[in-house]
Amino acid sequence: MILDRLLARRLVVLSGKGGVGKSVVGAALALAAHARGKRVLLVEIDAPQPASRYLGVPPSGQREAEALPGLFTVNLGLAATMDEYVRHVVKVDLIARRILESPVYHRFVAAAPGLKELTTLGKIMVLEEARERWSRRPRYDLVVVDAPATGHGLAFLKVPLAASEAVPVGPVGANARRVLAMLRDRARTALCVVAIPEEMAVVEALEFARMAQDELGVRPEAVFLNACHERRFREAEEAEVLRLSAAGAQGTVAPGVPLSAALFAARRHLRRRKLTRFYQDRLRRGLEVPLVSLPFLFTDALDLGALRILAERLEAA
Amino acid sequence: MREEALAGALQRRILVVGGAGGVGKTTTAAALGLRAAQLGRRVLVCTIDPSRRLATSLGLKTLGDQPRRLPLGHEALGEMWAMTLDTKRTFDALVQRYAGTEEARRRILDNRFYKGVSSALAGSHEYMAMEKLLELSADARFDLVVLDTPPTRHALDFLEAPGRMMGFLDTSVLRWFLRPYFVAGRLTLKVATRTGAMALALADRVLGLQFLQDLSEFFLAFDSMYDGFKQRAAQVHALLRGADAAFVVVAAPASHALTEALFFRRRLGEAGMPFAAFVVNRVHPDPLKAARGEGGPAADLSPAFREALLRVCEEQRRLAEADRRALAALLETGEAVAVVPERESDVHDLRGLREVAEALLPPRPAEAGAGRRRGGARARAARPRRPRA
Repeated sequence: MILDRLLARRLVVLSGKGGVGKSVVGAALALAAHARGKRVLLVEIDAPQPASRYLGVPPSGQREAEALPGLFTVNLGLAATMDEYVRHVVKVDLIARRILESPVYHRFVAAAPGLKELTTLGKIMVLEEARERWSRRPRYDLVVVDAPATGHGLAFLKVPLAASEAVPVGPVGANARRVLAMLRDRARTALCVVAIPEEMAVVEALEFARMAQDELGVRPEAVFLNACHERRFREAEEAEVLRLSAAGAQGTVAPGVPLSAALFAARRHLRRRKLTRFYQDRLRRGLEVPLVSLPFLFTDALDLGALRILAERLEAA
Repeated sequence: MREEALAGALQRRILVVGGAGGVGKTTTAAALGLRAAQLGRRVLVCTIDPSRRLATSLGLKTLGDQPRRLPLGHEALGEMWAMTLDTKRTFDALVQRYAGTEEARRRILDNRFYKGVSSALAGSHEYMAMEKLLELSADARFDLVVLDTPPTRHALDFLEAPGRMMGFLDTSVLRWFLRPYFVAGRLTLKVATRTGAMALALADRVLGLQFLQDLSEFFLAFDSMYDGFKQRAAQVHALLRGADAAFVVVAAPASHALTEALFFRRRLGEAGMPFAAFVVNRVHPDPLKAARGEGGPAADLSPAFREALLRVCEEQRRLAEADRRALAALLETGEAVAVVPERESDVHDLRGLREVAEALLPPRPAEAGAGRRRGGARARAARPRRPRA
């Protein structure tokens, strides 16, 4: 159901605190849409370890690459996208090169507030609007963007707002307004928040949702609560874990696994479960948007198989 | 070894806590601050934090840009203060203080570019953190300033970002670029080189004339302050390389965070900055190691229950095993590594912070104060005070 709602849009932007697994959720979302036969583009921004590694393909770069038939990834470098834009505007290759080689340009672009970010959002808009040459149908049915986790994710999305105010005239201002209109268009864009069941991630998600509404005028479409610990015991068994623990029960569960070790693990599991439920409730109460819980995966390495588990959960949600 | 390294770091005047985003940097900074306060130091924990995370981990609703003392009660011999950094206010205060004349001051503070985007300049958070650090390190109220670094994707941004802002403000370069505006305040293309002319034409095309005028006015007004900014940046740099500073690099057992941590340490070494220790948060305990005794005969359990128990045990053992492998990479460096086990609940109050603090640096039996109630007034009077600067 949530997937239906997101697939009705053309652009899904994921935001959230660093370390909550945004890129994993983004990749799983792209995979879920892909499983429905959609042509999907997964966009990452300056990702040090791009999500393409989960898909078992070489790291994606500045150009869109087809990871699976119909599933594309791109890892936009902020600086590289800026350079690309200069080349696009200047057109004459020699002049563009001279500008790109000048130290002034680099100093300016390295620090100029939001210029690279705005250009990158502009590039995302171009990708979202891209059409096939002959059929004129959209090149991608869905573009999933893993927004960079700076201080708070809204900083990145607020760039076009700030730019349209600071640079009221000229092409930058005009582009900023177009990008802003795209982000605010609920028929076109869905803003989603990713969190994990931990205090700070949840606080930040709630704060993000409030600020997105107040400052950007965009209501998030969904919250993905990643790494949720799922039920392993029936209710009577949970009580039994506590009873056996309190009684200091001894014995073995299996060769090499003392009961006390298993009970230690079980108690930790129960506390994690409790926290998961607590934060699920808090997000449900604090945000009037659908909450999608994704399971904690006890795998050593996230790979395509692990992503498919998450994609199936997204499909079922 | 790890205890000596961390204990030594808490005796410095400046402790910088770095690491990738999402690894518990703010919590670690607060916990180290608390630990130092328990040991009798007067500590300020300063975070650069638009999300007010420190406030959360201290169990406070909000935290302002003025140092606020936390009620530690009798447990600590020292004092703990906390604040968050407000980039814009720090910038304003610097302009207030260093702009030569009232007119220059007003010209900067009223400038549209300054008002709109100065606090958003790439690196301005980090630069202002450094300025604040310089100011706080001279504040006689504190023996130790613990600086939590801004949340960046790359841990190293903290070291490199101030240079980016200074590069931008370096008027000797930008003056060349914006000369026509300095001279006439309007677009004339009499610039020194053809590339300059082309770059300017491009800037005009993409940014618009109004913006460039605002920008050039800002640079003109800022010109007199630039050298001061640069000097203080150099001072902070020297401070961070000195014997009074120490760096703690925080990581989580995920491979990305560990790679960043190793890279950070290497860069600190290259920059001549004193690395103290790694702190690794949220390390999963191995249930088999937590077991008491061998177990003995098979326990009487239903098959389904047995299955479920084995499953959670195996899951957690796998996590612990992955963490252990990840940690080995840090231990190989031969540096001190402090491990904070994953807690059963989040740290969002002083009690939780205390547990982390004592996991980082366990109290010694002889240590006065930590974890124990004591006659506050007497203990405080007996504490040796640093001479006030």
